[in-house]
Amino acid sequence: MQLYNIIINNLLRRKAKMIFVLIGLSIGIATVVSVYGIVETMKVEMTRQVSEFGVNVVLTPDAGGLTFSYGGITLPEIMYDVESLTEEDVDIVRELPSNDMIKVISPKLLGTGMVKENKVIIVGANPQEEFLIKPWLRLSDENSEDTIVKDASTEEKPKDIDENSGDKKMDFESIDLARQNLEDLNLQDNQVIVGYEFATGLNIKTGDILNIYDKEFEVYGTLMESGSVEDKQILMNLNSAQEAFGRPGEITVIEMAVDYFGGSEETLLSEISNELPHAKVTSLRQESLRRDEVLVRLVRFGVTISIIILLVGMLVVALTMSNSVRERTREIGIFRAIGFRQYHIIKMVMMEGLIISIIGGIIGYVGGIIMARYAGPFISGMEIIVPWRVDLLFISIALAVAIGVVSSIYPAYQAVKQDPAESLRFI
Amino acid sequence: MSEIMISLKNISKTYTSMGDEVQALRSVSFDIFKGESVSVMGHSGSGKSTMLSIIGALNPPTSGIIEIDGIDLYKLSAEKRADFRREYLGFVFQQFQLIPYLTAIENVMLPLTTTKRSNKEKREMAAEVLKRVGLEKKMNRLPNQLSGGEQERVAIARAIVNEPPLILADEPTGSLDTKTGDEIMELFQELNEDGLTVLMVTHNPDNVRYLKRTIMMKDGILFQDQDGLVKPIVTKKV
Repeated sequence: MQLYNIIINNLLRRKAKMIFVLIGLSIGIATVVSVYGIVETMKVEMTRQVSEFGVNVVLTPDAGGLTFSYGGITLPEIMYDVESLTEEDVDIVRELPSNDMIKVISPKLLGTGMVKENKVIIVGANPQEEFLIKPWLRLSDENSEDTIVKDASTEEKPKDIDENSGDKKMDFESIDLARQNLEDLNLQDNQVIVGYEFATGLNIKTGDILNIYDKEFEVYGTLMESGSVEDKQILMNLNSAQEAFGRPGEITVIEMAVDYFGGSEETLLSEISNELPHAKVTSLRQESLRRDEVLVRLVRFGVTISIIILLVGMLVVALTMSNSVRERTREIGIFRAIGFRQYHIIKMVMMEGLIISIIGGIIGYVGGIIMARYAGPFISGMEIIVPWRVDLLFISIALAVAIGVVSSIYPAYQAVKQDPAESLRFI
Repeated sequence: MSEIMISLKNISKTYTSMGDEVQALRSVSFDIFKGESVSVMGHSGSGKSTMLSIIGALNPPTSGIIEIDGIDLYKLSAEKRADFRREYLGFVFQQFQLIPYLTAIENVMLPLTTTKRSNKEKREMAAEVLKRVGLEKKMNRLPNQLSGGEQERVAIARAIVNEPPLILADEPTGSLDTKTGDEIMELFQELNEDGLTVLMVTHNPDNVRYLKRTIMMKDGILFQDQDGLVKPIVTKKV
């Protein structure tokens, strides 16, 4: 015979009340779990989408200049011709403690030049890195290196995220598969790749010779139309651009493809900021998460509703436990008379609250996830499936236990302050 | 019977009821020796139950000193008094006061719950005392599956399972018919013969026969502590 035998027997005797408390508690926990589950899954889905985008972290000098945008998301301005990053900065980034997360680094120098009397943005970069980091770039069919041209319809898409596992990973390998012959993309220092719009506008073809900054460059190939800024650019090797612009060692922007699931994004961004205080770090994921109004509203709504429901749940538990203690006045008097310490009475009441809380936490978790799986796509407007997450289960139980324990404090105090002599009607 | 088990010195108890001050005990003093069996008689409101609760370390007196086996009860902290009750006292309450959702043996094991004995040892001790009170075949029944007399036996078993030197009983036969009441009183007599000190509050003059000494109370005053006047010391009823 241990205290828990008394506790469990008592709970089983008062099934209706226990169920009532469980329902109250479970609804509160389920609401929190479903809201949290939906929000977190939305974040993961958005992260996955950003990850698939390729470039997701951009370093620029901490000053204004040319507007730069990706996929409709406007990034902070890039400074050029005034202040630059350097190749040493690139080396620093490559040696960061969290560099495992960085899958591709593509430093580039931006400038403008006149080609056939037309002003054009010239990008100096490593073409292989540029193609790797921007999966939408394709050389047009007219190019002899057709092995690196892939039709979008035959391209192997990144693997879907395993919906049932919280361990989601961006599949860079699948992106690489689309670029398995990137090794063949070796630009000579006197070669350039011309964007679709600029090439078609000026009727530029592979093999043509262009004069840029008083130097002749052969057109290695032209890009297929992508609808992105690259359509209006000319790409050349980084060192060629540095030489052409007369800015050796300089870098305008460092674009990176970061695997968000490979570590802590916050840590990486913090390391970059610490090591490169003169650089502005922009994370597409952070930007998109910040900008997603649905998410922000959902979080606000969820937090408000969750707090209200949790408070109500707490009240339900406290009232029921308090009522239970009142009903057991005589019983508690007997316990005290036969030698139970106040500590034992407190332990009994608190343990009852604890047991109910743990069960409520588990039920709330299951109910919350089921609710989120049904309501998630509707609320978020995204194709999401909220996964069963062990960490969320523990959070649910911890939350329920916190509620249960806090709610049991007053009933336990009530139980202890009872006068056993009065409880037993001795006086 | 020379050693004092219970010593009350000028015990007074005043409490407030409905705004009025009620003096439940007025300077009560007496001693009870080890191995005695004592009945406390008196009308309702005479203060006998209050006195029992004070002796039971449940209700501090307004003034006076009470010692059990030389221990000044109300100098102990509340938690130490709980330990004292567990080790020294066996309570038999009015109307049995069994826990309805625990079986007979579980009810008997209750005072052992907070001790460090193993579950097996607790069960063996409880089974043994249940056997002693004649309930070895009903130890797994819930209280509502037992008769009044059987419930009283369970209550007595619960009071003695911890092997306390002192039994405090409050109207133990109040809810029982005469025959069953007599059986229960015989059981108390046996316990006393085995060396336990018994102090019993009772209304029933018939019970006095089974106890060696009687204390009379009226209006919170011990007006008679008469050894042999109210009822002579009786031997076991035949």
